[in-house]
Amino acid sequence: MKRRTLLGVGAGVAAAAIVRHGTARAQVQNYPDKPVKLILPYAPGGATDMIGRPWADKLSQAFGQQFVIENRGGAGGLIGTEAAAKSPPDGYTLFLAPSAALTVLPLLRKTPYDPVKSFAPIARAGDLVCGFVLNPAVGPKNFQETLAYAKANPGKLAYGSAGLATASQLRLEMLKYRTQTDILHVPYRGSADALNDLLPNNVQMMNEINVLPHVKAGKLILLNINYPTRHWDFPDVPTLTELGYPDSDVPIWYSFQAPAGTPPAIIEKLNLKMNEIAATDDMKVKARMINVVIPPQTPEQMTQHLLADIKATDVLIKAANVKLE
Amino acid sequence: MELSDLLSNLSLGFSVAAKPLNLVWCLMGALIGTAIGVLPGVGPVATMALLLPTTYYLPPEGALIMLAGIYYGAQYGGSTTAILINLPGESSSVVTVLDGYQMARQGRAGAALAIAAIGSFFAGCVATVAIAVAAPPLTQLAQQFGPADYCSLMVLGLVFAIVLARGSVMKALAMVFLGMLLGLVGTDVNTGNLRFTFGISDLFDGIGFVPLVMGLFGMAEIMANMTNEERRDLVTSRVTGLLPTWADIKASTAPILRGTALGGLLGILPGGGAVLASFSAYTLEKKLSRTPERFGRGAIEGVAAPEAANNAAAQTSFIPMLTLGIPSNAVMAMMIGGMMIHGIVPGPQVMQDRPGLFWGMIASMWFGNLMLIVLNLPMIGLWTRMLLVPYRLLSIAILFFCCIGVYSLNNSANEVLFIAIFGLLGYLFFKLDCEPAPLLLGFILGPLLEVYMRRAMLLSRGDAMVFLTRPLSAAFLGLAVVLLVIVVLPNIRKAREVAFVE
Repeated sequence: MKRRTLLGVGAGVAAAAIVRHGTARAQVQNYPDKPVKLILPYAPGGATDMIGRPWADKLSQAFGQQFVIENRGGAGGLIGTEAAAKSPPDGYTLFLAPSAALTVLPLLRKTPYDPVKSFAPIARAGDLVCGFVLNPAVGPKNFQETLAYAKANPGKLAYGSAGLATASQLRLEMLKYRTQTDILHVPYRGSADALNDLLPNNVQMMNEINVLPHVKAGKLILLNINYPTRHWDFPDVPTLTELGYPDSDVPIWYSFQAPAGTPPAIIEKLNLKMNEIAATDDMKVKARMINVVIPPQTPEQMTQHLLADIKATDVLIKAANVKLE
Repeated sequence: MELSDLLSNLSLGFSVAAKPLNLVWCLMGALIGTAIGVLPGVGPVATMALLLPTTYYLPPEGALIMLAGIYYGAQYGGSTTAILINLPGESSSVVTVLDGYQMARQGRAGAALAIAAIGSFFAGCVATVAIAVAAPPLTQLAQQFGPADYCSLMVLGLVFAIVLARGSVMKALAMVFLGMLLGLVGTDVNTGNLRFTFGISDLFDGIGFVPLVMGLFGMAEIMANMTNEERRDLVTSRVTGLLPTWADIKASTAPILRGTALGGLLGILPGGGAVLASFSAYTLEKKLSRTPERFGRGAIEGVAAPEAANNAAAQTSFIPMLTLGIPSNAVMAMMIGGMMIHGIVPGPQVMQDRPGLFWGMIASMWFGNLMLIVLNLPMIGLWTRMLLVPYRLLSIAILFFCCIGVYSLNNSANEVLFIAIFGLLGYLFFKLDCEPAPLLLGFILGPLLEVYMRRAMLLSRGDAMVFLTRPLSAAFLGLAVVLLVIVVLPNIRKAREVAFVE
């Protein structure tokens, strides 16, 4: 009797699960049947926006539904990330996550979200490819000469970052840590402000993509690339690994995330389509123009990637003693 | 640059800008810009962000011409609300409020609007030529400014803010400091400390300028009008003449010229350029005037000079964006976004690689300004008629648009609440006879002063002498001291006289 009840309950649960699965499958098949919101945690006009716009355009074409960008800037990405984490997990709110919002911010601030538990990864949106630049007025012509200069003149070089606790600060901390050099960190409000002081040599170094047009114009020297492969526009500039500093890149990467609890089938559907888009020549050209490459990844690979990056960032933050407040 | 080069560049630019379709985009931009400028709170940044995806489907020239039109169109529109309902639409039209609104109350709204449009038009034309002729050297000039120089310039600006005030210097000083304190709210750039945020994440980036202005000016003005029967009718005397008289134009000519020069120069500086431009132009006119007591009571020079200055600055702020790819404000960051969408990487190479686009955009600014003045002058009659709308209806409409505008900035409901808080504060200031304009300038310049000062100290490795050894910085500081003495001395003397009388 008891057993039968249990069986009955079990069957009921199973039946309910099948029904739910059935509607879920219908949901997935029709997905998306209304516009999808894509939250960006920064103000319009910046690097994240530059990556989000072509993606929104391509996704809208691919799915026949509008993918609408909603810029929720503020508090270094905190506000937008929180808003994304607390959105309904129905596949109609997605999040374009800059790596710093998932790796750096939660390590340094109390965040109202958990970078791993609050989100379900969908696909890689792009990796930034750039490196350290130096104002030519200083003298050194390449990475080695700059290192020698920094060692001979401790504290004389100043590096402009896009702000405290950004990837661009961590790149400097990593360089200082690995090469045992003393370079002054000057935080700015965004990379445009820093570039404004780099060109007249008020600071001497930076590591942001907005400097690259000035490298092309011969106004700045690109010393290296913080990425496993070289930059297509600067084939003569070596990567950090080639220079003898492996695992020192501090990668800056963007990913699509959904609020945790989003149906896995929707995530799979999006993942396949996104990786497909990333492989098209048109998207590759659009990405290269903004100094981005898009490596295809499965959601599982992305989780591993995120966990590894959080761990590496934690080690670096502790070693370099990076703090907020 | 050779003259023949310049002429061939300009003719290329005009041939691009004068294409019928580009003229249409230019007109669209100017129209949208005027509309959002008039609507309080809705600014060019939010509008451009909204329109950015649609520019995908335009040719790059058309897209950028339209986006640029929105920006300078908003400068024209912004002065309309400043003059008519005491509500600055943009940070650069804060000073226009001082005399523009007084003129409107005296029934001279038409003259104020016309002079604002004419001043803006003249400044826009001059600044367009300045960009064409002198963009590279002006860029060089802006690059001479180091953090120490900016810091001293901000000190000078804050001293200007005190001169601005109509009544007591002590009150103005207090308001400047209060503004600076409000500006401290948010994340400290150098340490990452959260200051006075009370755990509200909407405050992590500081108090927003728009909710502050909407509250202090818009809300407070409405409350003041509601509680005061005599004030309720917006126009205290009959509306006289829609167009300025010859005397008005004569009185405005020199201020417009000076405002254009000052605005054009300060506009190239990043950050507070346009704001600094408009109120230093105002201060300059007040100091040069033989009747400074008229300022703040409806002096037409007080409208003409800052309006010319802010439009000149709006236009020259394109220079660092066009020549270096460096955005000097949020609007220019949007322009860069617009370029990137079309595969144009902003930077020093744009001028060589895309001359049609570069010069076409510059030439379109002249067309845009022409369209704006043609649009705006006949509209003045319509705008002034708005003052005849019963205030109980108008005030609700103003509140409504303020709330929508603020919400559209960051999709944040908290910021709408901030309007109410600052509205109460503004009403208190009204009762205490304290002017909110110096507070706003302290609010804008104070944080810049702090950032530049700490950056300068960091780069000089802690040596404070850097402020005196850099010639530009020393000159600004010297000027600030002189100005302060000029302002304070008569007050001290007056205070003594009062003391002796007692």
